[in-house]
Amino acid sequence: MKYVGKSIQRIDAFEKVTGSAEYAGDIELPGMLYTKLLLSPYAHAKIKSIDFSDALKVPGVITIAIGEDFPFRIGLYVNDRNILARKKVRWVGEPVAAVVAENLEAAEEAIELIKVDYEPLPPVLDVRDALKPDAPLVHEELGEYAHSPAFNPIPGTNIANRFVVKKGNVEEGFKKSDVIVENEFLMPQVSHVPMEPHTCIGQYMKDGSIKIWTSAQSPFAIRYILGYSLGVPLHKISVYVPYVGGGFGGKAGINFEPLVVLLSKKAGYRPVKLELTREEQFMVAPVRQGFYGKIKTGVTRDGKIMAEKILYVFDAGAYADYGVNIGRAAGYSCTGPYYVPNLEGESLTVYTNHPWGTAFRGFGHFEFLWAIERQMEIVAAEIGMDPIEFRLKNALLPGLTTPTGEKLREDAGRIDQCIKAVAEKIGWGTPPVKITPNKIRAKGIAALWKAPAMPPNAASSAIIKLNEDGTFLLSVGVTEIGQGTVTALAQIVAEELSVPVEKIKVVPFRHTDLTPYSWQTVASRNLFMEGRAVIRAARDVKEQILEVASQVLRVPKDDLEIEDEKVYVKGRPEWSLQLKDIAAGYVYPNGNTIGGPIIGRGYYVGSRLTYLDPETGQGYPALKWTFGAQAVEIELDTETGEIKILKLVSAFDVGKAINPMLVEGQIVGGCVQSISLGMWEEYKYDKNGRMINPNLTDYKIARAGDIPEEHIVVIIENPQKDGPYGARGVGELSMLSVPPAIANAIFHATGVNINNLPLSFENIWKALKEKR
Amino acid sequence: MSQNKNINLGYINLFNTHIIPVKFNYHAPQTLEEALNLLNKLKDKARVIAGGTDLIVDMKLRRKEPEHVVSLNKIRELDYITVDSLGVKIGAIVKLRKIEKEKIIRERFPALYEALKSMASIQVRNMGTMVGNICNASPAADTAPPLLIYNATLTAKSLNNERKIPIEEFFKAPGKTALKEDELVTEIFIPYPPQDSHSTFLKITRVGMDLSKVSIAVLTKFNGSIIEDIRIALGAVAPTPLRIRRAEEFLKNKPLTEENLKIVQEIVAKEIKPITDVRSTEWYRREVAKVLVKDALMKCLEEEGGR
Ligand SMILES: Cc1cc2nc3c(=O)[nH]c(=O)nc-3n(C[C@H](O)[C@H](O)[C@H](O)COP(=O)(O)OP(=O)(O)OC[C@H]3O[C@@H](n4cnc5c(N)ncnc54)[C@H](O)[C@@H]3O)c2cc1C
Repeated sequence: MKYVGKSIQRIDAFEKVTGSAEYAGDIELPGMLYTKLLLSPYAHAKIKSIDFSDALKVPGVITIAIGEDFPFRIGLYVNDRNILARKKVRWVGEPVAAVVAENLEAAEEAIELIKVDYEPLPPVLDVRDALKPDAPLVHEELGEYAHSPAFNPIPGTNIANRFVVKKGNVEEGFKKSDVIVENEFLMPQVSHVPMEPHTCIGQYMKDGSIKIWTSAQSPFAIRYILGYSLGVPLHKISVYVPYVGGGFGGKAGINFEPLVVLLSKKAGYRPVKLELTREEQFMVAPVRQGFYGKIKTGVTRDGKIMAEKILYVFDAGAYADYGVNIGRAAGYSCTGPYYVPNLEGESLTVYTNHPWGTAFRGFGHFEFLWAIERQMEIVAAEIGMDPIEFRLKNALLPGLTTPTGEKLREDAGRIDQCIKAVAEKIGWGTPPVKITPNKIRAKGIAALWKAPAMPPNAASSAIIKLNEDGTFLLSVGVTEIGQGTVTALAQIVAEELSVPVEKIKVVPFRHTDLTPYSWQTVASRNLFMEGRAVIRAARDVKEQILEVASQVLRVPKDDLEIEDEKVYVKGRPEWSLQLKDIAAGYVYPNGNTIGGPIIGRGYYVGSRLTYLDPETGQGYPALKWTFGAQAVEIELDTETGEIKILKLVSAFDVGKAINPMLVEGQIVGGCVQSISLGMWEEYKYDKNGRMINPNLTDYKIARAGDIPEEHIVVIIENPQKDGPYGARGVGELSMLSVPPAIANAIFHATGVNINNLPLSFENIWKALKEKR
Repeated sequence: MSQNKNINLGYINLFNTHIIPVKFNYHAPQTLEEALNLLNKLKDKARVIAGGTDLIVDMKLRRKEPEHVVSLNKIRELDYITVDSLGVKIGAIVKLRKIEKEKIIRERFPALYEALKSMASIQVRNMGTMVGNICNASPAADTAPPLLIYNATLTAKSLNNERKIPIEEFFKAPGKTALKEDELVTEIFIPYPPQDSHSTFLKITRVGMDLSKVSIAVLTKFNGSIIEDIRIALGAVAPTPLRIRRAEEFLKNKPLTEENLKIVQEIVAKEIKPITDVRSTEWYRREVAKVLVKDALMKCLEEEGGR
């Protein structure tokens, strides 16, 4: 292959490095207004009154909106969200009012003059408390909310969704077990910390149509949800998305777009821009949900898992419109990449008075794999078996069934190969070494898996146009959020049509009026699904080229070949046409013209995916499963709890690396994020539920100096037959399971089990201290 | 209950986080005299700005709301590093990065060099100054412990007066210094440490390039196995950076035995007054301070050539 499988430079590199790439914040429109939000200082309180009469007097202020102005509920899977808080506030940071002004300074001045009378209510600040029968309710009206039939909210409780998966007979399984091990695990909420905070502009037009410019992952989801919630037909809504400065899930679904659109209407149909500051990004924007897990595993002496009983509880915060699907995804993958014959899994998404949760790279898997991969280590130690051997013994190999009863396909990826690869490269099998009285070096391993969490009908499509000079235009709905998918897609077009990548432009923006549909840019689904759609679009283009060429060259279509921007007769390369000569129809010397502009299209939906059985969770949810494993060698200072990651090894079965350099880029970046989330990142609250570290001074993310010195990336390629050139997704996968590998290494070094994240030096130190 | 009273939580202003939400007058004098004249006139209505890497953050969070900001950055006469037979003099607007790159600092003041290198990022070090780090009087200021063990002296000037302040007398409380409202620091003088002494700096942070949870600087001079001169200073463990005189007195003229080391650790743990905040707990700070004392002393001992 000439283009697929090659490490070419990303096609957007030049634009981004030179600063010419367009982002939502760059967009300024004539007559544009700016909005600033007033945030709730209470985690849970009744709004008794709001007085903004003084604020309205500030010169430059156009209008001020409060919750009652916008009596709509929005949401992706559950319609639980208000545009601005109504009747009560549900977290510290919930927007209570919005000032729209000619400039930001006026809006900021006015915000401080708004007076709100609150009556504080008892807040729910721990997800375990939220489940108690006497817990205050975050959503009293849960029973009235519209929701997708795939979800199961329980009115009168804080449970936004309950997902259950049942397979075999757990009681029997535990009876056949020699050893039963039960543990609990915890993880705090975290932020996506995108380099570009949430930014959007909305304009309500006088004719009732709506225009949106936004930093978002999923323009079509925004259009759909907005149309549904406001009762506006989709052809009247257009959503424009330029490059996105990092999403990590936080810009999936729909966020502040409805707010700016409605503010625009209230402000007299002028465009209104909202740009969150870093601090607002922490407090107002959605977060990754917190997590609590409890796992009971039954195992035989010779290391076979017989049964597992699993409870996962996600701290959804104030709204769970997206969070419900994270709970569901974690539920149907709950065992990790292992075969568990008898299983009872329950995964709850639960409201609290914390900031609202949304999608986050990994979509629940970072969370539950922390629990599973720690549990595997503990169980292995309990029966005195090497943890690698134990994992391999229970590895979910092709032919075995997943938690939902899906028989893993023959050409699925191979978890055993991933585990063996990292074990070999980290040099598994040597005991921990003391290099000074207080410094120990030790190794740890953890495995991972994930499938895209998406409805069975999630679709992708692509359009390829041949320009008059023989260059191509590829248009796709996947947004460029930094992951590099569009470069790989250009390589696929190049391969299919045998044209150099430089001759292919991928349209650098998404506009729902022009761009072919894509459900969302999430779930590590886009290379696979857009990839298939692009292959089909390219083949459609090819078919149209051959149709015309076969007439001009007077040979049947199947005697023609396209190469090097020419179409020619096989075996007679001298009989050929340039692609540009048929791009807009072929013109004979006398002026007669045949054919016409060539526009290819293709689509893709997953094959034979199903809804899951509401009682047992059985069915086919997975487009594909990607498997991987991580291994670390750490140096631990037992006196201070400081750890250094000396070496990291990552292996992923990606099926086929369309662009190995980009795959490696995703893996290196993902692992740094994984380390950061595992070791430092954490929403910290005071006793009233106020976040006390909403800034980058005290919400710590990894710095360049924290990246492991040595990182070995192993790319395994067992092709999946229905993937584009055999490829599977890896975007999210790369950030899974580094923290359990670190904690497992700490366990081997000291015998101390740490089951709560983050693995900050102080927390490690505390755990070691408690053991002593 | 109106929310306005509740809204500024110190670490975050729930209203506005975007621009500096206060108006102020900006002055950029060309000479020291001009600057001192301004301070003489404006008194506590003015704040001096050097690199601004502390002040701007404080203004954004409204911890400081000066009516006037007086920049020192155009005053060329404050931009110097001079070396003579007694030590090094550093002017008020010399950037941290420039000090760090100075050969004499690396060679003769290793604890200060280590501290500078550990601070923030290169970008911040290209903006911030050492005088700013000291005048900001944060308990966690990283250059404070080294300057304490090297017995640095600050030069403070006002329109009509000039005085020298030993650094140990400079810090009064978090954010509070011995400076009067019309004074500014023009220079830090750092005398050479004794011949054949060893000094080092260590700190514990959350991530790389972070503010300290605990920091320490130690200077030792051995005579054979006996400690002839000893200086210990810690940061982020009390309202101000501080010398631990009692520990020094104890160790003086004694060998650095394991037993003595343990006693010193306990003295340090007693002398410091750490707090629990968003960065760390009191408990951890106290325990880790003990570890750092040991590690720093052992490092000096190693340099001396082992026991
Ligand atoms: C991202 C980041 C990371 C940081 N990391 C660290 C770190 O690791 N360790 C650390 O110690 N600090 C750190 N800091 C804090 C800061 O960078 C340093 O304290 C720096 O040395 C301050 O110098 P400056 O010139 O910027 O001070 P400025 O902000 O200009 O001034 C600080 C204070 O000193 C006063 N002042 C300045 N000059 C004078 C003078 N000549 N006379 C009287 N008063 C004066 C000002 O009025 C102000 O109150 C960090 C800051 C940031 C933004």
